[in-house]
Amino acid sequence: MKRFVLLLSLMLAFTLSVPAYAHFQTIYTPESALSKSKKIDIKLIFTHPFKAGHTMDIGKDEKGNIHPPIAFGFVHKGKRKDLLKQLKPITFVSLTNEGRAYNANVRLRGMGDYNFYFVPAPYYEGAEDIYIQQCTKAIFNVAGAPTDWDTPVGDPLPVEIVPLDKPYSIWKGMSFRGVVICGGKPVPDAEIEVTYLNHNVKGNAFAKEENMPIPQPDLVPLGIKANKNGEFSFTFPKAGWWGFCALGAGGDLKYNGKELSQDAVIWVQVIE
Amino acid sequence: MKRFFTCLFGILAVMLFLTTIAFAHTPLCSCYDNGDETITCEGGFSDGSSASGVEMTVQDKSGKVLTKGKMNEDSEFTFKKPDGPYKVIFDAGPGHVVEVNGEDITE
Repeated sequence: MKRFVLLLSLMLAFTLSVPAYAHFQTIYTPESALSKSKKIDIKLIFTHPFKAGHTMDIGKDEKGNIHPPIAFGFVHKGKRKDLLKQLKPITFVSLTNEGRAYNANVRLRGMGDYNFYFVPAPYYEGAEDIYIQQCTKAIFNVAGAPTDWDTPVGDPLPVEIVPLDKPYSIWKGMSFRGVVICGGKPVPDAEIEVTYLNHNVKGNAFAKEENMPIPQPDLVPLGIKANKNGEFSFTFPKAGWWGFCALGAGGDLKYNGKELSQDAVIWVQVIE
Repeated sequence: MKRFFTCLFGILAVMLFLTTIAFAHTPLCSCYDNGDETITCEGGFSDGSSASGVEMTVQDKSGKVLTKGKMNEDSEFTFKKPDGPYKVIFDAGPGHVVEVNGEDITE
């Protein structure tokens, strides 16, 4: 009986904790390693990627007002390009609801790395009574020449994950290493959630089919920790898009009088 | 004598190692149409090194040279877009040649 109660409470804990965490802001495009210069479609979606679940309205406050994004652009060969004005609001449909997302058509001209960054307005999460702001990065490459991937974006990102492995050249079975930084300094023992885009993005919606079955509930999302130098490593069991989120990397912050979790997110694409 | 061979072996081993490094990178070249009747090609190597000074040739279908030049200090080479079919050759020496077909060069 005791064991049954324990099991039941554990199950309950899982059920309760799943919706509370595992939020992930995306900077999504189908391909991270492009063979040549071209126009790409980017989608910024604030969702639960593993289960293609609840999709949040980016920048919604506690009163339900939606605030516009704060920063969006890329750094290429050391130069910053602001693309905030190119963002267009869209409605993204998950398997359970729909939410305010953004898309942008961006022309990548010239070979090298494009370190994309996105800073949304803080989102109010009622279930936790906190604000969440996920400062997100994704690095795309044209024609194979490495130029910027290992350099921090810096301003306007207060927190970020800096790769130690080229994030667009990862073969299935390889590992990805990164450093969590806040204001240019490593965040020791950072708590990191790892997610997988388990449902492909089709237009402005998630596909119904999942790419891999989830064998155990505690795998969604996976929890890992950085070491004392803010470094972490993860080995991929499956090809596709993987996201890393360093929770509260910005430290103890407040927004509108409530706790603000300022997270650092990075997306990497694993190929096979 | 033994020492001489050990030394020689050592030198050969180092040389082999250096050669491996020299060939471990891949030459890269990518071009785009500027939309103003000119084409810009960028070059580099997979280890991030510059392609400044690398010889660039633009040929027509029959192999006739239309333009010749070198990658500038930013590893870039811009030329007037030829009227007919053409290809661009990035030549950084044996085993380090990249050819780009004109029809694959878009805006």
